[in-house]
Amino acid sequence: MTGPLSDPRKAFGAAVTELAESRPEVVVLSTDSGKSSGFGDFAARHPERYFELGIMEQAAVGVASGLATTGRTPVFCAIAPFVTVRPYEMLRNDLGYMRQNVKIVGRNSGVTYSDLGATHHSLEDFAITRMIPGFTVLAPVDPSEIKAACAAMLDHRGPVYMRIGNEPIPDLAAPEPFVIGRGRILRAGSDVTVVATGSITGAALAAAEVLAGQGVAAEVLGLGTVWPLDEDLIAQSAGRTGRIVTVEEHYVVGGLGTMVRELSAERLGLPVAKLGLPHCYSTSGPYHELLAHYGLDPAGLAGSIKAFLESDAGH
Amino acid sequence: MSQDLPEAWAETGDQLRWRAARSRRHILRMLRAGGAGHLGGAMSCVDLVTCLYFHTMRHDPARPQAPGRDRFILSAGHKCLGQYSVLAEAGYFDLGLLDTYGHLGTPLPGHPDMTKLPGVEANTGSLGHGLSIGLGMALGLRADGLMSPVGQVYVLLGDGELPEGSNWEAAAAAHHHRVGNLTALVDVNGLQISGRTAEVMSTAPLAERWAGFGWDAITIDGHDIEQILSALEQAHQNQERPCVILAHTVKAKGVSFAEDKVDFHYWKTKPDLLAQAEAETEARISALEEVLA
Repeated sequence: MTGPLSDPRKAFGAAVTELAESRPEVVVLSTDSGKSSGFGDFAARHPERYFELGIMEQAAVGVASGLATTGRTPVFCAIAPFVTVRPYEMLRNDLGYMRQNVKIVGRNSGVTYSDLGATHHSLEDFAITRMIPGFTVLAPVDPSEIKAACAAMLDHRGPVYMRIGNEPIPDLAAPEPFVIGRGRILRAGSDVTVVATGSITGAALAAAEVLAGQGVAAEVLGLGTVWPLDEDLIAQSAGRTGRIVTVEEHYVVGGLGTMVRELSAERLGLPVAKLGLPHCYSTSGPYHELLAHYGLDPAGLAGSIKAFLESDAGH
Repeated sequence: MSQDLPEAWAETGDQLRWRAARSRRHILRMLRAGGAGHLGGAMSCVDLVTCLYFHTMRHDPARPQAPGRDRFILSAGHKCLGQYSVLAEAGYFDLGLLDTYGHLGTPLPGHPDMTKLPGVEANTGSLGHGLSIGLGMALGLRADGLMSPVGQVYVLLGDGELPEGSNWEAAAAAHHHRVGNLTALVDVNGLQISGRTAEVMSTAPLAERWAGFGWDAITIDGHDIEQILSALEQAHQNQERPCVILAHTVKAKGVSFAEDKVDFHYWKTKPDLLAQAEAETEARISALEEVLA
């Protein structure tokens, strides 16, 4: 991990605002959520392209669909569960089924709103958004990748769901152009393939460092795109290491772990351990304490990976 | 903007009544092809849809994607026979396609699909979606400013659909943003699957509710062509405020044995009754053709 910490929401809002300068079709929708999504500057610079709707996430997705039919590229960002589970049918019918070019961004995703409780946690968004035919699901791993992913998202034609957190995070690697559907090798290793996505990828890298001290060389893949899954990258890496561990701030059912298990069952035939949140309503508390509670801090991840490697399944 | 913009068709009176009668014939033709369908709502809304396409809306079947067109969204997607029939009558597709209704792979599914049929602007079917989509379109068209007045958006809802909360989200936002190029039409036929709408879930007082959300509300007889045209004209006058036309209609209008009967919300046709319905419609068309001759 390198560099200073920065707020992913600010990185996101600044990136879209900058990209929108040369993309007049980009409009922003807010459900009393725009300024917290980093769109204060955008609203001031482009009031005619900024639509405040108040707290109505269902209609907001329909409005975004309608705007898209007139050639706009709407970007709608709010707290992750309120743009995914709340208006899910609108995502499916108004965006997916209607093939509309709308970008839905869930911020404060996972358990980053740790103290606000389960209503504000988003632990099923990968599972439900990937189920909509035509949807692309992004979860960039660091601030630089958020910026690059915004460009790719706006240039991609079709509905996209992107999730970002709110806890300040560092850059994990040198910036690269973002290609939808392609992950990156963030750390090379030969003993196990760790497939991580989103803002918890930093913890997975830190866990790999802990494991290195214990003689385990973990290869860490950062998947800025959750769906479509970068099957080839995972297959190539796991072909060398023989074992896979998935790391995500999402339920262990339905998300990245499930997708990688599907891949393994259909194509690789390798053991996969899934690390994430248990399928229950999470407890609340300070973010880093909450992650540690569920074994998703670097020490917890390292311990789980080591245990997997020493188990019959991962041996 | 110097592009060639579509124009309104501006048909009136008996010509519109003839169009509506022919559209009812097309509805029955689709039911004959498919053996079943949402008869009641299609027949109750078809006079409204006819007036939109043949009088008020600026559109061109040869250019269904013309940027400056007015737009129609059937929020109550199950009434799609009422839209397919008018699109066919207007020439959006060949009448022969009507005979594919209910068949595998038809471009005329039981709820409309914009990717399959020209002239369909939104994929509806689940209730409570159309007004939000229409609001987004209206905001976009207003910003485009291609026409004067700007492109208009018409959303047709059923009265049974109104308890869906998303309608009222959109209604509030349309008023807040002064979206005057959005007109809602409510097909108030008073019936839904389980019975009388007033008994299943009343949304009375209808006009007051919409007015309370900041909309101009006009109540009319939704089968009276002159009242429909007059209401559509009024709806255009205030481009600072959305307008709703509350059109009181008769479910299954034009099919005597089915009118105002809940059993004909969705109808599995019976040969003798279908033949009777067709005969009634043909008689209506013939009578109007004599008047027009």
